[in-house]
Amino acid sequence: MRYVTGKSIARRTFLRGAGAAVALPMLDAMVPAFGQAPAPVPRLGFVYVGNGIIHDDWKPATTGRDFTLPPNLLPLAGVREHMNVLTGLSHLEADSRGDGSGDHTRACAAWLTGVHVYDRTRPGVEVRVATSADQLAARQIGSDSPIQSLELTVETPQQGACDSGDCFYVNTVSWRNESTPNMTEIHPRVVFERLFGDGGSSAERLARVRRTGSLLDSVDAEARRLAGKLGGGDRSKINEYLDTVREIERRIQNTEARGEQSLELPERPTSIPETFEAHTQLMLDLQHLAFQTDATRVFSMIYARELSGRSYAQIGVGGNHHGVSHHRDDPTLMALKSRIDTHNLRVFAPFIEKLAATPDGDGSLLDQSLIVYGGGMGNGNLHRHSDIPCLTFGSLGGRIPTGTHLAYEMDTPMCNLLVTMLQQLDVEIELFGDSSGALDLDA
Amino acid sequence: MRPMPGTKPLYAAVLACAAALAGAWLAERYGLFEQNLAAAQSAIGANCLDCHDEIGRSGDLVLDPATLADVGGHAEVWEKVLRKITDRAMPPPDEPRPPEEDYLTVERFLVAELDAVAAARPNAGDLPQLHRLTRTEYRNAIRDLLALEGLPAELDFELLLPADNRSSGFDNIAELLFIAPSNMERYIDTARRISRLAVGDMNTPPLVNRHRMALQLPQDTHLPGLPLGTRGGLLVESFLPLDGEYVIRVEFAGGSHELHELEVLVNGERVAAATVVTGNRGFPRRPPPFQFRLPLPAGPAQFGVTFVERSEAFDESTLRVRRRSRGALPDIELVTISGPFNPTGPGDTPSRARIFTCTPDGELGERACASEVLTALAHRAYRRPVSDIELDEIWPFYETGFAEGGFERGIQYALERILVSPQFLYRVEIDPPGAEPGKAYAIGSFELASRLSFFLWSSIPDDELLELAAAGRLQDPGTLQAQVERMLADPRSTSLVSNFASQWLFLGDIESKDPDLYLFRDYDETLRDAFAIETELFIDSVLRGGGSILELITANHTFVNERLAEHYGLANIEGSHFRRVELPEDSPRAGLLGKGGILTLTSYSTRTSPVLRGKYVLENLLAAPPPPPPRDVPSLVTEQDGAVLTLREALERHREDPACAGCHYEMDAIGFALENFDAVGQWRDRSAGVEVDARSELPDGTPIDGITGLRNHLAQRPDRFARAFSEKLLMYALGRNIQYYDAPAVRAIVRDAANDGYSFASIVEGIVLSVPFRMRNPRDGTAANAAAAVTEANR
Repeated sequence: MRYVTGKSIARRTFLRGAGAAVALPMLDAMVPAFGQAPAPVPRLGFVYVGNGIIHDDWKPATTGRDFTLPPNLLPLAGVREHMNVLTGLSHLEADSRGDGSGDHTRACAAWLTGVHVYDRTRPGVEVRVATSADQLAARQIGSDSPIQSLELTVETPQQGACDSGDCFYVNTVSWRNESTPNMTEIHPRVVFERLFGDGGSSAERLARVRRTGSLLDSVDAEARRLAGKLGGGDRSKINEYLDTVREIERRIQNTEARGEQSLELPERPTSIPETFEAHTQLMLDLQHLAFQTDATRVFSMIYARELSGRSYAQIGVGGNHHGVSHHRDDPTLMALKSRIDTHNLRVFAPFIEKLAATPDGDGSLLDQSLIVYGGGMGNGNLHRHSDIPCLTFGSLGGRIPTGTHLAYEMDTPMCNLLVTMLQQLDVEIELFGDSSGALDLDA
Repeated sequence: MRPMPGTKPLYAAVLACAAALAGAWLAERYGLFEQNLAAAQSAIGANCLDCHDEIGRSGDLVLDPATLADVGGHAEVWEKVLRKITDRAMPPPDEPRPPEEDYLTVERFLVAELDAVAAARPNAGDLPQLHRLTRTEYRNAIRDLLALEGLPAELDFELLLPADNRSSGFDNIAELLFIAPSNMERYIDTARRISRLAVGDMNTPPLVNRHRMALQLPQDTHLPGLPLGTRGGLLVESFLPLDGEYVIRVEFAGGSHELHELEVLVNGERVAAATVVTGNRGFPRRPPPFQFRLPLPAGPAQFGVTFVERSEAFDESTLRVRRRSRGALPDIELVTISGPFNPTGPGDTPSRARIFTCTPDGELGERACASEVLTALAHRAYRRPVSDIELDEIWPFYETGFAEGGFERGIQYALERILVSPQFLYRVEIDPPGAEPGKAYAIGSFELASRLSFFLWSSIPDDELLELAAAGRLQDPGTLQAQVERMLADPRSTSLVSNFASQWLFLGDIESKDPDLYLFRDYDETLRDAFAIETELFIDSVLRGGGSILELITANHTFVNERLAEHYGLANIEGSHFRRVELPEDSPRAGLLGKGGILTLTSYSTRTSPVLRGKYVLENLLAAPPPPPPRDVPSLVTEQDGAVLTLREALERHREDPACAGCHYEMDAIGFALENFDAVGQWRDRSAGVEVDARSELPDGTPIDGITGLRNHLAQRPDRFARAFSEKLLMYALGRNIQYYDAPAVRAIVRDAANDGYSFASIVEGIVLSVPFRMRNPRDGTAANAAAAVTEANR
């Protein structure tokens, strides 16, 4: 990548002993200095919060534009005019079909795909989901950005015990195709280096990019030879590899085509901040920067993982998120779950505020964006996939009116929202997952 | 008697033999079969069909005794039945118990028939032909290929490569090892950094290796590995890229009015010392950083930074955990090792010795030497002989590097190319051209060498394995056995214990456990680390001890340091190092179920969960996972007639619902036996003011009294535990889920291991010699199609 960033200077400064901060302190002061302002482009974000909600504290009492923010949503008061609250949506494909206890895994897998995933530990069942909506959108709007889509997480991936045994379903919401998930990145340094490289002069970087190009050509040929020897049943694995090689080649071309941009970059973060709040803020700051520099236009993030074992002691919740979500209708536990949900939004709100404050074209970055914040589970105590949480931020370049509580008929497929979003981006699509049509977003 | 269908392979095989065998033998065998079949059919009919007929359909399982005449055609159902019968898990507790004779009749018949079918028509299961290396395997492969170990923190593999997906705990499941653009970029990047480091590229930019002290690591006691008479600090291994200068910088947290002596050691030798002081008035301030520069040679190095202990240090109030004691003593917060600066040469590192087997100005000449070096590297990296085409693919990268910076740069760029080859990143098993669809075949020698090394070492094969494979001798069972013995004795097999055991038992999940800070004030990072070390040392001692794997359940010893001994209430253990202690008779700490780590990771953050613990034991130690709960499972009722129910009462009520009883009976019984351990594994006689009742009753009426009772119960059925252990180890060995068609192989492994006292080595050997390990089903054959059909049918 050829940002003229002074990165190598910053690096030496540190080596002289200046030290490096974990957060990105310069961010607010930065002004992008693009050679020419690119025409505004749409941006999308999908932020996943699992383990359900407490509906009484989440749903506004009245519909339409004049709704009052319910307790959980109070942290969003500053961006109320830029958001919609959607209620009554469901992901019924995540319900059990007598095929296992994976209510959490299915909720997460279905969120952007609308597909019911079967328990893969059973004989003969293989991974078969679907290309997720964020990926369909990324192919439409992100094909000339350096990174087609970015997948982030702020929770350690679940490892051993998940309710159906297949933990990988709760560690991402983004599926490249029906059998390849996009893995999420937790480390801010890795995200930073993917976006902006890891230093060196621009001549060094260019030489590296060229060598990477010839490396890719060479392994591409080798992989094709290998593909010829494989039976049809296994082409998908090698195609995965080839597809990946081509994607990186595309990225290199896009990066070179951009020419030089000058933008002052913050110091490269070095470690994962120790608190949830600091980690999340740093990751969202990086995402903001990625939008601002147009390094990527689509992102997804596991913000509160299904089955999360995270403890929220800092807000007085001793137990872990998943444990508390099984509140057994006990008012004390319900209040704790509600406190977690509010806190998550309190940490999230500054990201939206910052997008709203960042100029882009005639408006703000938020105006060009659609950020969906929600999850595949409604009542976490009973593992219901009905009446799931769904907030949207931004008007996608004026395509979507905002400031409204839209209450839909119960069990309207959330896939209808995804269809509407894709259609607004000129993706030719009529049906997606279990959709029954497009969603009316006019109040 | 029903006529026998003519398509059954066993009898087809038997008939084929008939010409060569005495007719009388066949008649006898045939007659015996008819007799056994009839007996099994009548036992099933009498005891199972009340519920499992077309009308009852209990558990959605319909049994047709007629299909017993062709178990091969209905293996999935009958393997399931066999397991329930072997475990005496059916009929359910409230139904009349069949006579033991009926159990034995059905069990013997099914075992004989299912095993015979499997022997006549081996099914090796479905495994993709490409199996990506896991992050652990990649790291070990780099270690063994390039003699590169203890990479600098900036090149930590946890940062270089993404974590792998897991299924049922295991991270090496072939189907789930994906490649997406984000990790391909990182493979390319990692290849670049690794080859630069291994070769010793003089253009290597300075690395900044930051070692931050864990927040919860106590700084007021001696830490293992550092000199005696020191307190706190940090000890790290770091491979130095070049001969040159390095800067060591120590930053502090907390302050003190007193003087503290800081020591810095490199490879055990003191290289610097400093006095840390922060002024003598007012509130203690954080001391300024201490930094110095020194020349060091390239290669592996060990850095220690610590305080000299002084008794007065304890005049100030010291607390155990830093996050609660910040400010009492000066603590080390961050140690940064940066360099190389002003490099003087690539030095004399193990990696360079491994790579450069010749010199360009030697007898061979530059090009021949390059070819020798690269052929050897590619051979080891691809785990098989390398073709000319493949060498031709690597060569242009050598040329580019040579033109840019000479011989060594050429090797570096070519190595980069090797490390991103799909043949390095994937274990490749291609079906041979003649493979018959639906018919398992024996895999080739080089594939077998890789299966062995990735199973036992989580790494690439060594030269001895590759040579045996090249000589065509590896397939020989005697050679295989000898190799297993050799490989288990090799230090690389520690990965088998650490990697397998931690995944099997979900030990990694302890990291993300966060016991409630207010309820368990004693819990901190040292305790968590001690849990992990204890369990690992314990498992290692049993598996390498040569005794029965059953000792994992029963062994009356453990490993503790002072911190852990205190947690367990064991007296007279001092110091931070771990040592083996023999436990008193019937100690609650005997076996895996007495280990704090396992008890913590099966608890919620605020309380214990008999259900979680019971499920964990059934799933991992007995390989009898409870079926998923039904949809719309009722919530636990926690109050009755205005009175708050105890957890035990609430679960008892829950079990009154027949939909729940079937599974919860056994789960809860096991879980309640462990109730004397709290949510961080500490012993308790009372809980919430009430005496703990750790008695329970199994579905078959066996009473269980606490941890000792549970342990004895598990020890009574060594075959059940051995079966669970073998299934998990086989899953790990193959990198795929274990299915019904693997049951005959597992039975054979357990049977053979029983003759050898259930030793770990005998189970490993059994796996290596098994059908699924030595064979594979062609991927385009019926198995894959059948799998697709099943998936379709599920939709």
